[in-house]
Amino acid sequence: MSDRWVERLSEYLDGELPVAERAALEAHLESCSDCRAILAGLRRVAARAHSMELQAPRHDLWPGIARRIGATPARDTPAGRRWSFSLPELAAAAVVLMTLSGGAVWINRSNISAPAIAPVATGSGLPTPTPAIHANRSAAQSYAAAVADLEQVLAGGRGQLDSTTVRVIEQNLAVIDRAIAQAQRALNADPANLYLNTHLAETMRRKLDLLRQAATLVPVS
Amino acid sequence: MTEPGLGAAILEHEQTGRPDSDAIDATLAASGDASAFERLYRHHVPRIYSLVRRMLDDDDADEVTQDVFVRAWQKLGTFRGEAAFGTWLHRLAVNVILARREMLGTRRKRYIEGDAVLEVLPTRRPGPELTMDFESAMERLPDGAREIFVLHDVEGYRHEEIAQMLGLATGTSKSQLHRARLALRRHLER
Amino acid sequence: MLLTLAAAVLTLAAAQQVDTTVAAQRGQRLQVNAFGGDVTVRSWNRDAVQIQTSTPGRQRVEVSASATSISVRTQGRRGQHTEVDLRISAPAWMPVTLSGVHTNATLEGIRAPISVETVEGEINVNGGDGLISLRSVQGSVALRGAKGRISVYSVNEDVQVTSSAGEIMAETVNGEITLEGVDAANVDANTVNGDIAYAGPIRNGGRYSFSTHNGDITLTVAEGSNANVAVSTFNGEFESEFPVPLSGTRKGKGFTFTLGTGSAQVTLESFQGTIELVRPGGRKDRERRERRED
Repeated sequence: MSDRWVERLSEYLDGELPVAERAALEAHLESCSDCRAILAGLRRVAARAHSMELQAPRHDLWPGIARRIGATPARDTPAGRRWSFSLPELAAAAVVLMTLSGGAVWINRSNISAPAIAPVATGSGLPTPTPAIHANRSAAQSYAAAVADLEQVLAGGRGQLDSTTVRVIEQNLAVIDRAIAQAQRALNADPANLYLNTHLAETMRRKLDLLRQAATLVPVS
Repeated sequence: MTEPGLGAAILEHEQTGRPDSDAIDATLAASGDASAFERLYRHHVPRIYSLVRRMLDDDDADEVTQDVFVRAWQKLGTFRGEAAFGTWLHRLAVNVILARREMLGTRRKRYIEGDAVLEVLPTRRPGPELTMDFESAMERLPDGAREIFVLHDVEGYRHEEIAQMLGLATGTSKSQLHRARLALRRHLER
Repeated sequence: MLLTLAAAVLTLAAAQQVDTTVAAQRGQRLQVNAFGGDVTVRSWNRDAVQIQTSTPGRQRVEVSASATSISVRTQGRRGQHTEVDLRISAPAWMPVTLSGVHTNATLEGIRAPISVETVEGEINVNGGDGLISLRSVQGSVALRGAKGRISVYSVNEDVQVTSSAGEIMAETVNGEITLEGVDAANVDANTVNGDIAYAGPIRNGGRYSFSTHNGDITLTVAEGSNANVAVSTFNGEFESEFPVPLSGTRKGKGFTFTLGTGSAQVTLESFQGTIELVRPGGRKDRERRERRED
């Protein structure tokens, strides 16, 4: 059995031999039963591979995936507003801070997150947050009111802004909204997570900031 | 020109998902719609799970399959819709699988030169009670040959694509495929 | 012709060219309001401010001076976009405030506080000393050779600070943040959709905070840095060219570790991107540079 020909059999099977070699191999096959047998074997292997059936996982993997991407449904809490009932207390405190402080405010993370915090575990080691449901609701309301006010200014002034500017601002508001939604879902699944709390608050601040900035662009007539 | 069987196999694999609904669900999922992503998951998990199982060992299959979908969720923003979602997802899965191999460092000898591949699998035909089925035989191939065989003959990638994904020369991909086929044919001769 | 202005306003309405020079004294700042066009401010050796423009067409350039400022204002008729290219030379000690809408701003050699605000234009500053604030909505911001309290901001495009020192605050929504060759004791870089790259010494006792939602963070850390590093991510990954205990990182929870004495505080947060610690001159550093040169 000449190895030279055997080596080429897979390429021949896959139609990858150049024309001249293909002719030579076919000529050889006519007289070599060993090669023909091997070729038949290769063909069966390839066919067997092509027809392998799909196999689904034995367990449903979706719950695990949903958890990791933060897609589990929001928990029920007594508060009324759509997004406020999932705003955990720590984030609420941060939101109060930024809504009331007006102007451009950089959230200094040392105010909000304890430095050098150990691997973020659920439930333990959190600093005691400021007032409970009260801050929660009023923070939610102040934020929503601020956002609504600014959106109104923007809507009123759209015509006076350059259309590319409007588009850029709207696109970026959408970017931030998406990030807020993702952070929110993640937080719903893990409400005591310190990072997620501050991240959501920070991202909400970004939205407020952008709206404020956009509002200042609207010319005062 | 490729063997007719190959094209048919690919169609068979992908017919589980209707392309249009995938594109819609991918767009929805990219803007945060988890139910849309769940639909995508349900459509594509058989294919992805099968790929993972064939490339890695059974123990990791569940976890790596989850990793693939989590990564897909993260990277949805980069899915532009030029290819079918299933194709994009499959590529992403291959990358996750290869990265997993690297991380675990559980490489058996990766690319065995020459006929040594043939010696990894038992040469004597086992009796009926010891029959090794085709899948098990595949699992016993050295990692590199196994990857290439799965990607080419099972999943339908071309050598050029495989070479690029695995960082090899096309010639290496072809010779490893050949070796894998030669080794496996002994487990079909019944 | 050198003019000394008290409270007078000099209005230059020229069809072709404007070229005027005004004496400047310490205590004055340069204030430029240009609706659109390219505004370039370069430093020179004279205690005077020269304003030149050669944009054809009708434009009005108002130059006025008070005890505290020299003000350059380009006006269009209401509702009209006036694009006027201004070339200004000013003393290096003179603080500059520049605002515009479609204005691109380029500043060179000013060794004083700088504040630039534009909506659609790009900002390019080489220099700056003291309080430096560069903000654009649609354009990119690039700063080099600055010293002081630095704040750079773009909504949609990239911001870049290189070869600068002091405290740095960098923020974008959609752009990348690149801080390279920066010697800062206080850094706060924040983006929603962009990547963040930082390469500079980590000073003992400093605070370095990097946060993104969707993007990757690459921190190039020199050997011998002392930092307590806190990594937080929801869905992202962490990779390091430094030996770091990696237990429990795969599923995206937070963790901290210490380099050296742990003196500085480094916070790395990416909601779903990759956080990387890289050695200067190491493989990933080289790859990143190569990618940037494409």
